[in-house]
Amino acid sequence: MPQLPLEVFCPSWSSDGNGNSAGVVLEHERVLALSAAAAAAGVQIGMRRGGVLMLHPEARLYERSAEHEAEALHAIAMALLQYTPLVAEAEEATLLIDIGASLRLFGGIRALCRGVRANLRALGFTGALSCAPTARGAWLLARHGGGRSATMASLVRRLDRLPAGLLPPARPFAAWFDGIGCFTLGEMRRLPRPGLQRRCGAALLDMLDAAHGMTPELFDWIEAPTTFSAKLDLFDRVEHAEALLFGAHRLLLQMTGWLCARQLAVGRIRLQLEHERGRVARAPTVLEIVLAEPTWRDEHLLRLLRERLAKQVLEAPVIGLCLEAPQVQPMAPPSESLFPEPGGSEQDQLRMFELLVARLGPDNVLQAAPLADYRPELANAWVPVHQQIRAAARAAQMPPDVLSLPRPTWLLAKPIALLMRNERPFYGSPLKMASTPERIEAGWWSQSQTRDYFIAEGQDHAHYWVYRERLIRVAGVAEDAAPRWFLHALFG
Amino acid sequence: MTLHQSITAPQALHPSLWLASQLAHASTRCVDTGHPTLSSQLPGGGWPTGTLIDLMLQQSGIGELRLLRPALAAGRRRIVLLQPPHPPQALALAALGLAPSQLIWIRTSGTSGSSDALWAAEQVLRSGSCGAVLFWQNHARGETLRRLHLAAHSGETLFFMLRPLAAAQDSSPAPLRLSLRPAPGGLDIEFVKRRGPQRDTPLFLPLPLPLTPFLLQRHATLDRALFAPVTARSILSELVQ
Repeated sequence: MPQLPLEVFCPSWSSDGNGNSAGVVLEHERVLALSAAAAAAGVQIGMRRGGVLMLHPEARLYERSAEHEAEALHAIAMALLQYTPLVAEAEEATLLIDIGASLRLFGGIRALCRGVRANLRALGFTGALSCAPTARGAWLLARHGGGRSATMASLVRRLDRLPAGLLPPARPFAAWFDGIGCFTLGEMRRLPRPGLQRRCGAALLDMLDAAHGMTPELFDWIEAPTTFSAKLDLFDRVEHAEALLFGAHRLLLQMTGWLCARQLAVGRIRLQLEHERGRVARAPTVLEIVLAEPTWRDEHLLRLLRERLAKQVLEAPVIGLCLEAPQVQPMAPPSESLFPEPGGSEQDQLRMFELLVARLGPDNVLQAAPLADYRPELANAWVPVHQQIRAAARAAQMPPDVLSLPRPTWLLAKPIALLMRNERPFYGSPLKMASTPERIEAGWWSQSQTRDYFIAEGQDHAHYWVYRERLIRVAGVAEDAAPRWFLHALFG
Repeated sequence: MTLHQSITAPQALHPSLWLASQLAHASTRCVDTGHPTLSSQLPGGGWPTGTLIDLMLQQSGIGELRLLRPALAAGRRRIVLLQPPHPPQALALAALGLAPSQLIWIRTSGTSGSSDALWAAEQVLRSGSCGAVLFWQNHARGETLRRLHLAAHSGETLFFMLRPLAAAQDSSPAPLRLSLRPAPGGLDIEFVKRRGPQRDTPLFLPLPLPLTPFLLQRHATLDRALFAPVTARSILSELVQ
């Protein structure tokens, strides 16, 4: 991660990172890392603060923060856990991953490198990627800008051309190496070993041997914690929920790595949007996403989050994000069938409904759950699509012979009172009754009236389901009150 | 000789060529409509899957679902009712042969309802995991229709758009457009657009209501003679207890 000191302050996806404004990181009042815009203005590594401000007065200056860098490196390591369980941190902002066992699963070395690079981009960092048969060799290549060597022979050829100053134990002796005309690692390797060990110490030789695969290497592999909770501080106040997506993606990538490392699938995630602290402190806004089907891939979660964030109205600027995975369960990889179903699997359907629910709301994506009730408006119940209904429970609520009930397709949400003309109900045209009445009683415990339903036909030959209210004879109400007619449904 | 042949029968050159007096060949799989008279009038002999089918209704509730019933009931996959004008009644649809577990009702609300509905339609069509999508939309611009048509191409979903009769005047990318009007005992179907000869007279399709006999009023009610009034002593005294 050559740009790590800078990118912990302005990630490459933020507006600062893509060259609009100059960012400069200082260590001990000297420039350590700088953005492209700053370099274009003439800022160079090693300059003092005053010089930077003279060349580029609007440059943003940051003090180097070791703890931010360590956090960032850990975040990247978590995200990379999705490729292999063997991830180790090495010196000088480098991560080592052992991909020997993952090549086939991820479709070869090129596809794997593409994936790692895409993940780094999504996390907001740029990195130099290298692959080599030995970890130290890969480390050296990465420090020199990246490169791939699949075989030991090509690695040795490449290593021999690298500058001698790349090895950390050799740096104190750089002047001496220059003096004896030893500029590359290849030349260093040809020096007599006992002399080299006496002058420069055993660490240098160990490192050279490790790079060439002559001594075994030992690493402290990073272990995934037992629970997942990741935080991200935004360095700006974000006022639009959609702008949070990049930050959320970064957290999701970390979670993906963690889930893969622990062989878990997540059933519920919680994203907290943290607002201003201090005097005008506000409780964080919590977004919860419940999944019908536990998953450990980030694409679907990202789509869900995008829809949720697009709907979310922020009441206050957001300064930080926090992602938790409160509900996890062991991962159950799908069993691939030989002949895929034409309409996609059940999981695909569930995923589609989740996406619809995320944008439209759970009350707007409904499935039918008819109730065993004789009143049509109560029998026609629809429930959110996520509710699990067993087939047996659904069948138990259905009438034994559906065809015996003349039920129209479209049930109006509220019956429409019909006009009367010539003693006939009128809806666009006079209605002619086409059936004998069907009496549907009211629920005696509720207010509704007993109704006599008729199928009526208008002059345009469309069929309507109308009812006549049966009046309850109550003292005080005129005996000859005309019956009231209502339109309740349409035959589709 | 071959040149002469190809000029006399140009429709034999390529499957996408047809004479103006013939029905076109289907380019996609077609689902039988279940109404033989209608099927014989459609290119491919049924509803084409994976394309936009425009149905223009005089009003909702004239028998549009009875028309689509055989095609919808043929598949066992889910049927999405997107933004129907009124709440659908699951029991009625069950009587039409569509099981309640197949039905998904998506409604939209608020100011963004129309764009939400279009978005949902596109998502459902692109996922291709549903058997049929019925989309009610009153106003649709040409480019949104085109977009939905393209989204439908990505799968094998049966996609009907149900729009008011006035939409027949507007252009549409749908290769099949029918307008439906109620007629005594059925529907009058007019072919606004199809890959085939122009047909001016509407096709009458009988679609009676699925009524049970006891509700059918086959005859007008007649005045019946009342029972003779019982006069005194007309009943034997033995029968009176």
